[in-house]
Amino acid sequence: MNESILQLENVKKYFPIRGGVFSRIIGQVKAVDDVSFKINKGETLGLVGESGCGKSTLGRTILKLLDPSGGRVYYKGNNIFETDKNELRLLRRELQIIFQDPFSSLNPRLNVGEIIGESLEIHGIATGKEKQERVEYMLDVCGLAPHHHRRYPHEFSGGQRQRVGIARALTLNPDFVVADEPISSLDVSIQAQIVNLMEDLQDKFGLTYLFISHDLSMVRHISDNVAVMYLGKVVEICEKKELYQNPLHPYTQALLSAVPVLDPDSKLERIILSGDVPSPADPPPGCNFNPRCRYAEKRCRQEEPELREINSGHFVSCHLVQEG
Amino acid sequence: MSELLQVKNLYTRFHTEDGVVPAVNGISFNLNRGESLGIVGESGCGKSVACLSIMRLIGHPGKVEAEAMLLDGVELQSLSEKKMRSIRGNDMAFIFQEPMTSLNPVYTIGFQLQEAIRLHQGLDKKQSQDKSIEMLKLVGIPRAEKVFHEYPHSLSGGMRQRAMIAMALSCEPKILFADEPTTALDVTIQAQILELMRDLKERINTSIIFISHDLGVISEMVERVIVMYCGSIIEDTDISSLVKDPKHPYTIGLINSKPQINVDLEKLDSIPGAVPNPLNMPGGCPYHPRCNKVMDICKEKFPEKQTISDGHHVSCWLFSKQGREIKS
Repeated sequence: MNESILQLENVKKYFPIRGGVFSRIIGQVKAVDDVSFKINKGETLGLVGESGCGKSTLGRTILKLLDPSGGRVYYKGNNIFETDKNELRLLRRELQIIFQDPFSSLNPRLNVGEIIGESLEIHGIATGKEKQERVEYMLDVCGLAPHHHRRYPHEFSGGQRQRVGIARALTLNPDFVVADEPISSLDVSIQAQIVNLMEDLQDKFGLTYLFISHDLSMVRHISDNVAVMYLGKVVEICEKKELYQNPLHPYTQALLSAVPVLDPDSKLERIILSGDVPSPADPPPGCNFNPRCRYAEKRCRQEEPELREINSGHFVSCHLVQEG
Repeated sequence: MSELLQVKNLYTRFHTEDGVVPAVNGISFNLNRGESLGIVGESGCGKSVACLSIMRLIGHPGKVEAEAMLLDGVELQSLSEKKMRSIRGNDMAFIFQEPMTSLNPVYTIGFQLQEAIRLHQGLDKKQSQDKSIEMLKLVGIPRAEKVFHEYPHSLSGGMRQRAMIAMALSCEPKILFADEPTTALDVTIQAQILELMRDLKERINTSIIFISHDLGVISEMVERVIVMYCGSIIEDTDISSLVKDPKHPYTIGLINSKPQINVDLEKLDSIPGAVPNPLNMPGGCPYHPRCNKVMDICKEKFPEKQTISDGHHVSCWLFSKQGREIKS
């Protein structure tokens, strides 16, 4: 069970900032900076963080939808970042993505059958009747009616469109799926439907998910392990239960305490962070979190902390957390 | 507690080319002085439209009709547009959901803040500037004197929402409508804004109508709550009985479909289906196609309001005498 399917080593994605008369590169936005972790087969890794922390960029960089600036991603022993075009195309069958916005990620001029079946043709897996059968099977599995394949995206509601997006990602029978905020644009009652569907499909097809979300309670529900990102870096990663019961990084603590609880009598102490997330183009020296951290001391403003294993399987990047 | 706002049988309909969209379907509620009331529901349930109707901000092709819409005993529907303008911003203020789009990008924060203060309070330029800066400081904006001269684009989302709050509270309104004020913000910023709003409510003593789709946020902010579905109020009660003892199947579904951060669940309870198309509403109770306790009568007639206990009302046949008879 604990066999890793995907392994990230020092993954980096920098975007250049251009300026001046000749559009020279005058700086860099470190959207993803030195991220390393493993995802085990059949498990779900939840990736949480606030907007702009680089979680979506990381998800796309892993699949080489964005050109990486550095690092390695091993999928079943092969480095994805070093594959050529043909190898990458073969890998795409096994690595898929579900996008955030089901309104803009489906081509409005293709009907659902074409959207879902397109990849089968591109990869030369099935055509004609065989393709049709596969499309209808996928629609059925994702909770839509097989006759829906003739309809166009605008005829569906948000939740149904997201089901189409999921069906499209899963037609090629992938092993690993990046789900980039798949529920954030949906209504509450529909979110639960989609999450339940994703869990059922995971059991059925033995999928591994990277579930990117800013919804901490949904991540707790769906994930096995959780990674917390702040300003392009993973600040804490561990098993789900451990993270929610014993968060060690001051940022994780604040993040978890900020989630509203459905209990008017709740007396949980709330940690209110001051200020905003700094610009990733100009991160503060030392620990990225130090300007907002209530425990920050001199060392935090000078040295950058490394991700260390504090308890078994619990990694934290903070100077002040003691081992043991 | 005295009644500040009284709404009786409010209907808002949009007459579109495709037909009439009944966005708000005969809702009635009261708001007491100093009280905070939450309105919960999914997108399209009419919660924002209801509040905009009270402010008389619904334009063509919308039509607002109500038996009564009283603010402090004054009927709002019969007021002239001029009189209404002196009430908007002064007695009733609105915080919109999107701080990115609800501020005018070509005017400075200070200009936009001063506008309301000068219009409603008759202060001169210098006085209104002082008052604006004081308001910016009140909502916790650092460097208030500088921010006064800056444009909205140079502020972050959280800061813009603070500026919006400063603007809404600058004339000390009797009622503050907050329409999903934190939905566009990150959780840590949301926590800051909610804390600020709670703190300001104590200090200024306004009544708040807090609109949200997030029951968690609502439960932290209000005393009493209204649940809306397809333009109708289906349950209203105080917040703790809503959380601990919800009655309407939709309310129960809404609560159970969202996992809590401190509870482990094997499987989420989801509500099947989707919100119906407003042009083609199902007859009877609008929730019946998705309801797991549906009875024959639900498909025929909209259920009348039933009283569960003092201050707890629900519109569902399960709790009516008729419904109980059918069930047994």
